[in-house]
Amino acid sequence: MAKTTSLKKSAASQPAELENKLKRALADYDNLEKRIEREKKDFLLFFSAQLIRKILVVMDDLERCQNHLGNDGLSLIIQKFQQLLKEEGVVEIQAVGQEFDPELMEAIETVDGPKGKVVEVSLKGYLLNGKVLRPAKVTVGGSTENRKEK
Amino acid sequence: MSKIIGIDLGTTNSCVAVMEAGKPKVIPSAEGRNIIPSVVEPVKNLVGDVAKRQMILNPKNTIYSVKRLMGRKYADKEVERTKTMVPYDIKSGKNGMAVVEIEGKTYSPQEISAKILQKCKTDAESYLGETVSEAVITVPAYFDDSQRQATKQAGEIAGLEVKRIINEPTAAALAYGLDKKTGQTIAVYDLGGGTFDISVLEIGDGVFEVKATNGDTHLGGDDFDQEILDWLADDFKKENGIDLRQDKQALQRVRDAAEKAKIELSSSMESEVNLPFITQSKDGQPLHLTRKITRAQLEGLVDGLIQKTMEPVKACLKDAKKKPAEINEIILVGGMTRMPKVQQLVKEFFGKQPHQGVNPDEVVAVGAAVQGGVLGGEVKDVLLLDVTPLTLGIETLGRVSTPLIERNTTVPTAKSQVFSTAADNQTQVEINVLQGERPMAADNKSLGRFILDGIPPAPRGIPQIEVAFDIDANGILKVSAKDKATGKVQSIVIKDAVGLSDEEIEKAKKEAELHAEEDKKKKDQIEKRNQADGLIFTAERTLKDAGDKVEADLKKDVEEKIKALKDILDSGTDEEIETKSKELSDSLQKVGEAMYKNQEPKSETAGQAEPEGNGPAGSKKSESEEKPDKDKAEEGEVVD
Repeated sequence: MAKTTSLKKSAASQPAELENKLKRALADYDNLEKRIEREKKDFLLFFSAQLIRKILVVMDDLERCQNHLGNDGLSLIIQKFQQLLKEEGVVEIQAVGQEFDPELMEAIETVDGPKGKVVEVSLKGYLLNGKVLRPAKVTVGGSTENRKEK
Repeated sequence: MSKIIGIDLGTTNSCVAVMEAGKPKVIPSAEGRNIIPSVVEPVKNLVGDVAKRQMILNPKNTIYSVKRLMGRKYADKEVERTKTMVPYDIKSGKNGMAVVEIEGKTYSPQEISAKILQKCKTDAESYLGETVSEAVITVPAYFDDSQRQATKQAGEIAGLEVKRIINEPTAAALAYGLDKKTGQTIAVYDLGGGTFDISVLEIGDGVFEVKATNGDTHLGGDDFDQEILDWLADDFKKENGIDLRQDKQALQRVRDAAEKAKIELSSSMESEVNLPFITQSKDGQPLHLTRKITRAQLEGLVDGLIQKTMEPVKACLKDAKKKPAEINEIILVGGMTRMPKVQQLVKEFFGKQPHQGVNPDEVVAVGAAVQGGVLGGEVKDVLLLDVTPLTLGIETLGRVSTPLIERNTTVPTAKSQVFSTAADNQTQVEINVLQGERPMAADNKSLGRFILDGIPPAPRGIPQIEVAFDIDANGILKVSAKDKATGKVQSIVIKDAVGLSDEEIEKAKKEAELHAEEDKKKKDQIEKRNQADGLIFTAERTLKDAGDKVEADLKKDVEEKIKALKDILDSGTDEEIETKSKELSDSLQKVGEAMYKNQEPKSETAGQAEPEGNGPAGSKKSESEEKPDKDKAEEGEVVD
């Protein structure tokens, strides 16, 4: 095996160094334990994040479709879908009319409208158990005078 | 003792890593990503993803690509060029150095970079759960003293003592452990989000010397995405007469889809862009963008960009006075090097396989962490612990190898398991210590054997023999067996349980793979026989317990079937054993029924009559017999 000789012989003559290394190893281990504990909690809360993120893409398309068709049946399907997401702890980020917040939203365009306020959501954002699952993509009202003329 | 973190302070993205228990680990940001966009909004103090998200609203206040300004004079050509690219204002500051100006206030590139470093520090601290005050930061190999000095200052502003500034290609080489390859020449091909760098290094006694560098400061993954985007948009325009690039919302979706397709095509041959309701036709009908793109098509689209990297590569080799064949090692850095075509081109040019394995987005940060580990005294070799190269176990009933310590377990380690006897009144067990991955004992290597005797006579399955494996840090294995009833112990010490050559390990693993199927078959056979054997045992005991409560002819029937099964136990085929077992089991059920009929269903002697027929114990011949592990056994006692 490539991984051989755990402790160098030269080190054996230096107890202080060995002690140092032992402390370091123990500290690493201790911290690792704490982190595993933390990560386990995070995992339980967010293990589904990746899957839900992928599923949201389909949800987006369904909603786009509904915007065009306005079909009753489809509306029921979307409702069911939304209910399912809610049960999993997924909450839509309310953006329209709100102050733009880069923690929750990503600005993709500015248009005429109240300055700094979200005018339109082009892609819904979601929180999963209070953490940003996907920021909302929004158009924001306001000043284009800030933009550099080229 | 705080750790020294390694930071790749990039033009587009930054990345942090740290050594933990001798291994580099990339630290996830507070946002849960391994990279942090190098974007800063200094007024509101936003850094990374958050700053990037508000960039379009706040273009004059949002600083990106600040690395292009680090330690440069305002009059510098690169600064000139950057000025035409970015929406924020670049001014001449103290000593004619380039600075950025936001709302009348000037910020040096160091101050902006410091914000990114500060985020790296904070994220690392929350990850590690301890204060971080020292760092190794990487810079491009072509950075001059002034630029290096500026980077160091940025670290200090962020509250980090910069233990060392190292070159990005050097960090990449360290990440692959190439510092030990004295006398070798290395080429590092780094195609990132926005810049391309090629460097040639020489290693002399653990010291890296940059022989030459070259590159293109404005070529990277973003250009590739743009090609795909244009292709999709042009195609759509031809078909529908609508230019998606004019519609910001549609453009955003196409851009995301282009990047996704690019990433997918690195691992699959075809990707589908599927964007329903992307826009509307003039008469209000919805239009969808659906397009298949193959890897070959993508390669055709970006061929020009990939070829563009080869000019600097050639120039760099020329400066280093090296021919492609004289390069001993090639390292790929940057997300774009995941593209198979890029890898192929590099491979063809140099005539050898580039190093792969470390994530190309993280390899520079990883190397910086390795350097940090060395500076912090966390030397790799000393902390390396042995692992057991092959599985260690003992032989159990039916000549099966029962694993105790799995392959790849880090030592020192210890494990114990409780076994029992295979036959009534068995007074000794032989412990055969085995090493190997095969399920049958005979196919594995026997490291040693010993006998534990003096077990008080008892029915099979009753004695509890605790077998303990203990490997110390030096790889010495001690195996002991203890009879829990008498406390009698026997043990053996085996010296070479860990020290195996790579070839031996490979051979053992290969053999296990090669024989996997037949081994499984063999093991199934043994299991069937063990089950049949257990059934016989249960049947005999049931008859004994039943005594005269069962009619004589039924008893006889069972006895006959026991004999029939016993006769073929060693010689019979699987099917025969299965059939005879089934017959016995059916008859046995009748015995059970009869007993219930003849008896008031009151208190039953638990644990004695096992109606299922295959009790915990197997049978004779072999030395010992596996029982559920210790905890389970104790649990069982409680229930009883």
